[in-house]
Amino acid sequence: MERFLKMNNIFQNIAIGLRAIKSNPTRVFLTSLGLTIGIFTVSIITAGVSSIDKEFEKSMAYYGNDKLYVSTWPWSFNFDWWKYRNRPRIEEDNLQYITQYSQYIDDVSLRKTSWIRGSYGNTASWLQINGVYPSYQDMLSGTKIENGRFFSQNEWDLQRRVIIVGATVRDGFFDGQDPIGKTIRLGGVSFEVIGELKKQGMGMVPGGTLDNLVIMPSTTFKRILTRWGFDELVLKTRPEQMAIAKEEAEMIMRVARKLKPDEENNFAVNSADAYKQQFDSLKIAIAGVGFLVTGISLIVSAIGIMNVMFVSVKERTKEIGLRKAMGATSRNILVQFLSEAVTISIIGGLAGIILVKLLTLALASFLPVSFDLLLIFYTFLVCVFIGITAGMIPARNAASLNPIDALRHE
Amino acid sequence: MNKKEIISIESISKIYHLGDNVVKALDNVSLKIYENDFISIMGPSGSGKSTLMNIIGCLDVPSKGTYKLDNIEIDKMTDSDLAKIRNQKIGFVFQTFNLLPKLNAVQNVEVPLIYSSLSKSERIAKAKNALNSVGLGDRFDHKPNELSGGQRQRVAIARALVNSPSIILADEPTGNLDSKSGLEILKFFDELHKAGNTIIVVTHEDSVANRAKRKVEIFDGKISKDE
Ligand SMILES: Nc1ncnc2c1ncn2[C@@H]1O[C@H](COP(=O)(O)OP(=O)(O)OP(=O)(O)O)[C@@H](O)[C@H]1O
Ligand SMILES: [Mg+2]
Repeated sequence: MERFLKMNNIFQNIAIGLRAIKSNPTRVFLTSLGLTIGIFTVSIITAGVSSIDKEFEKSMAYYGNDKLYVSTWPWSFNFDWWKYRNRPRIEEDNLQYITQYSQYIDDVSLRKTSWIRGSYGNTASWLQINGVYPSYQDMLSGTKIENGRFFSQNEWDLQRRVIIVGATVRDGFFDGQDPIGKTIRLGGVSFEVIGELKKQGMGMVPGGTLDNLVIMPSTTFKRILTRWGFDELVLKTRPEQMAIAKEEAEMIMRVARKLKPDEENNFAVNSADAYKQQFDSLKIAIAGVGFLVTGISLIVSAIGIMNVMFVSVKERTKEIGLRKAMGATSRNILVQFLSEAVTISIIGGLAGIILVKLLTLALASFLPVSFDLLLIFYTFLVCVFIGITAGMIPARNAASLNPIDALRHE
Repeated sequence: MNKKEIISIESISKIYHLGDNVVKALDNVSLKIYENDFISIMGPSGSGKSTLMNIIGCLDVPSKGTYKLDNIEIDKMTDSDLAKIRNQKIGFVFQTFNLLPKLNAVQNVEVPLIYSSLSKSERIAKAKNALNSVGLGDRFDHKPNELSGGQRQRVAIARALVNSPSIILADEPTGNLDSKSGLEILKFFDELHKAGNTIIVVTHEDSVANRAKRKVEIFDGKISKDE
C-alpha cells in the first residue's frame, strides 16, 4: 500500500511536469529537436550498416567461402597502384603446378574477365564476361544453373560460341522470357545461350548487381573476344581448409614464379574473408562517424534540456515555494522537475522515431530500416537517461530551495 | 488555564546580514501558543510580523533559539517531517493569495492534497467540498484571473483548510481586500475558531485584531505587548 501511494505520488508529479510542458510547447519542441536528430541519425546509421551488411553477405556468397582467387592484385580498398603496376599477369600454366602439387585444392579453373557491350535486337548493355574451364560449373558460388546447362569439355575444346547468362541478361534482353536457344551478339560476334544462372541480386561488387554476368569457355573468350582481359585462377577447397590451402597455394605459386626467399610475392591469393576484413574496417568507420554525430547531437540536446530546465526552475521559483509551503517534500519537487526533463526528451525521441518511420515508408526499397519495438525500447531508455542526466542539476537546485526564499522570489 | 500548549517559541532571533548591515528581523522573541487560541499579531511595517509567521509555519528557520511544535523541536526534523507538518498541521493564508495562475479553483485547492496520498477522485471531492464551504461552489473552473480579489482569497482559504489543519496562519489575509470582502474572510476565521482551530492572524487593522481573543504586538523585532 505504502508503495502504491508512492507510485501515485510519482504519477502526480509527472502530471505536474506534463502540464508545465503543455504551457510552453514551442520551447519543448526546440529543445527536443536535438534528440530527434540524434535518434534519427542513430537509426539511419544502424539501418545503413545492417543493409550494407546484408549486401555484403550476398557478395560473400558470390565469392564463396571455399574459394581462393589467385590474382595479380590483392582485393583491397586502399590499392597502391605504384607498388603493383609491374606485376606479371597470371599465367594459365600455373594451374598445372597447382593441380600437380596441391593437397588441399580440389578443383581449379582459369577465369578471364572482361567487360564487353552485348546486344540483342535493339537492346544493348555492358556485360561482365567470364571465360572459364568446364570445371567451373561446380565452382559457381552464390548461384547455380537454373535453366539449360553448362558448356561441355567438348565445347571448350572446340572453342564453341556458347554462353551461360545471368538474370540481368534475361530481364534486360529477353523481357523475362526463356533465353535458351536465343542468340546474343558480343563485340560483333553471335553467341548461343545454353544456360541461365539463378538470380543473386545486388552486392558489393563493381557494377552493383551480381547478375550482370555471361560465362563462356575460356578458349572461346581468348580466340574470339579478346586476348586481353583480366586473368585469375579460381581454386576450390573446403571451408575448413581455407587457411592452409591459401598458404599452400602461395607456396606453389612462389615456386612456379621462381621467387627467391627474400623476394615479395608478385601475385595475391585472395578470398572472401580477406575482403571481409577490409569491409569490417569500412563498416567501423561508417559506424564511428555515425555514432560521433549521434553522440554530439545527444550531448547538444542534453545541454539544451538542461538550459530549458534552469529557465523553467527560475520561472517557477514562486510555484516551488508555494508547493513546499503546501507540503511538497524536496523529493517531490525533484521528481517533478526530473519528470519534466524526461518528458521533454521522450517527446524528442518519439519525434525521431516518427521521422524514422516516415522515412522507412518512403524509402522502403532503398534503405530497409528495421523499425521495431527494440528501437522504441532503446530510444526510450536513451531519452530517460538523457532527461535524468540533463535535468538532475536544475531539479536539485529546485528541490533545495528554501520555501520562504522561493515564495518571496519575484 | 490548562489548555494544551502547541507552539513554544523560546528566545528566537532572525538575523539577516546584508553586506555590513545586520538586520534583526526578530530579536530574542519568546511566545507560547495554546490550542484553540485566536491571536492577532500587529506592529508597524518591517517590525518582523511576517518573519515570525513564517517561522511558526515552518517555512523559515530562526537564526537562534528553539521552536517546538507539539513539543517537538523543529530543528531536529527532517525535510519530509517538515513537509508533513506544513501539509497536515498548518494551513497558510498569504496576503498576496499565492494561487497558481494556470490552475483553476479546484486544482489550486487540490495542491496540498497532492502531497498527502489520496486518490484523484477523493482529492477532487475534498477540494470541491472546501470550495463549497467558502461559498465558491459555482466557481470551480475559474482560473485566479477570472476571480475577484475576495474570491481569490477564499480559494486560498479553501486551500488552507482542505487538509483540515489544526493551525491556521494568515499573514494580512485582508490586506488586499475591500472591507466587505475582508469581513467575509474574517467570518471564516470566527467559524474556524469556534470549530476548535488555533488561529494566528497578522494584521494592520484594529477591526481584524479586535476579533482575536489575544493580541500580540511587535515592535522592532521584539514583542512589545501580549494580552
Ligand atoms: N530575506 C531578507 N533579507 C534581508 N532582510 C529581510 C529579509 N526578509 C525580511 N527582512 C527584513 O526583516 C525585517 C522584518 O521583515 P518582515 O517581513 O517580517 O516585516 P513585517 O512586519 O511583515 O512588515 P510588513 O508589515 O511590511 O509586512 C524588515 O526590516 C525586512 O527588511
Ligand atoms: Mg509582512
